[in-house]
This record gives sequence, C-alpha cells and structure tokens, in this order.
Amino acid sequence: MFKLLNLSNLFFWIEKLIKFINSIFFILLLVALSFALIFSPPDYLQGDSVRIMYVHVPSAWIGLASFSSIAILSLAHFIFKIKNIKLITKSIAPIGLMFTCLALVTGSIWGQPTWGTWWAWDARITSMLILALFYIGFITTYKLINDENKADKISSIIAIIGLINIPIIKYSVDWWNTLHQPASIKLTGESSIHPSMLMPLLLMFFVLILYCALIFLMKYKTEIIRIKKKNLKRL
Amino acid sequence: MIQNFLSMSGYGLFVWGSFAITFFACGLLYYKTLKTLKKYEREFAREINELSFERKKAVIENSKIASQVLSSFSKTI
Repeated sequence: MFKLLNLSNLFFWIEKLIKFINSIFFILLLVALSFALIFSPPDYLQGDSVRIMYVHVPSAWIGLASFSSIAILSLAHFIFKIKNIKLITKSIAPIGLMFTCLALVTGSIWGQPTWGTWWAWDARITSMLILALFYIGFITTYKLINDENKADKISSIIAIIGLINIPIIKYSVDWWNTLHQPASIKLTGESSIHPSMLMPLLLMFFVLILYCALIFLMKYKTEIIRIKKKNLKRL
Repeated sequence: MIQNFLSMSGYGLFVWGSFAITFFACGLLYYKTLKTLKKYEREFAREINELSFERKKAVIENSKIASQVLSSFSKTI
C-alpha cells in the first residue's frame, strides 16, 4: 500500500489517469450538454432559465466539497505531519476557488430573471462569498509567505477555521429566511426535483468532477516536479 | 426551431451567458495549469540535461520521475 503511495508510483499513475480522462472527457461533455440544453424540460415556473441550474448547482457542490476536503486534510496534516497532504490541498484550492466564484456568478445571473436582482445579502449567498474569501486567504498564504513550513501552518489554520462556514452554508436556507430556495436534492429523504431534471444535473456534475480530477492531477504533477527540481542536487 | 433554442424563451442571454462564463473559466484554468506544468517539465529536463554525464546517469537511475519527465520531454521536442 505504502509502495503504491510512493511519489514515483503516483507519478506514473497520474500520467495514465490524465491520458484516460482526456480521452473520454469531450464525449461525456457533449452528452451532458445535450441533456442540459436540449433534452431536459423547461421549468413550469422559471421556464428555460432553470437550465442555469446545470452549471450553478454542480459548481456550488464542488466549491463546498473541495473546501471540506482541504479542511479535513489540513487537520490530518496538523496531526500526522505528512508533507504529501499539503501538496494535495495546494492542488485542490484553485479548483475550489474557481467553482465557488462560478457558483456566485451564475447564481447572480440566475437571480436576475428569477428574483429581479443580481445580488442580495442573504444568508446562503453571503456565506458562499465568505467561503470564496477563505479560499483566497488559503491560496495567498503561499504567495505571501516564503517560509514553506510557516505557510503550511497558517494555511492549515485558515482551512480549519473555514470549516465552520460549511454547515452554515448548508443549513443557511433552513436556519434563516432567505431569498435562496431550500435544497431540492437530499441525500437522506425524498428529493423534490423531477428525474428528467435530476439526470442532466448529475451528468453535468459528473463531467465537472472529471474536469476537476484532470486539473487536480495536472497541478499535483506540477507540485511533484517542483519538489524534485528543488531537490535535484540530492538525487 | 433554432431561433427558439437560441432565445431560450427570452432567457437566452442569461442561460448562454452562464454556460459561456463557466466554460471560459474552465478553459482558462486548464490552459494556465497546462502551461505551468509544461514550464516546470521543461525547466526540470533542462536542468538534468545540464548535469555532467555521470551525474545525469545517476539522477536518471535514482529517480523514476526524472527519467519519465526527461523521456516525455524528449518526445515533445
């Protein structure tokens, strides 16, 4: 198991996985887009503007999931001091930031025809904005602090504090009176979304997850090369 | 029919705008990530190539990553 987690072995599998994802990505993207833009029905109330959901919701899910994993891995880094964990969190952060920003932007675009406003300081939207700020804090730590160990520590603290925001985002629509609608998809309990809309949504989510995996692997590979390059004299 | 598809019952600007922004951002991140990866691969391969013959041989023997980067880099040039 540990042999498999060796950087050299990981590097070999990363190359293979990148090639595999590249080979299937565009076909799956075309299928997902066809369902999202053509085959899925318009909403009885929102009409075709509901199609924005197919990019907005997966973006928000990815933004939340990325930060949760960064925070949990940072906690693990604090306890076990495994350097590899920091390489992983550093590679996830830009992806999470981009999707959080996309959730905010596409949500704002969706808000205009639905609520009649581009922005509202409501609990869900504000807590998502705070999540983006935590991401920015996490990423800029590495840009501003030259001492890598110190940057690791500070970024871990930012991620662990930011973890408090995740349940706030999730339950904001239940705890407060918000403009944002409550969740239509529930892991436990019955979802209120129709299967004809749920299927394209899950397809788009799957395609965007594949994209995230691709970017993550490329960033992780870059980090491995950066370390090997730094330690070239010791090889 | 195509006009209906493009106008999205009057929400075309919002729907197409959202998809365009999403795919533009994804494309940009992909391009930037790929560019950085290639830059590091190139610099790493160049640094290995600049080593003396014995050192280069030792590095390639000791590091699978170095030999992989060097071989993939030599394929691209």
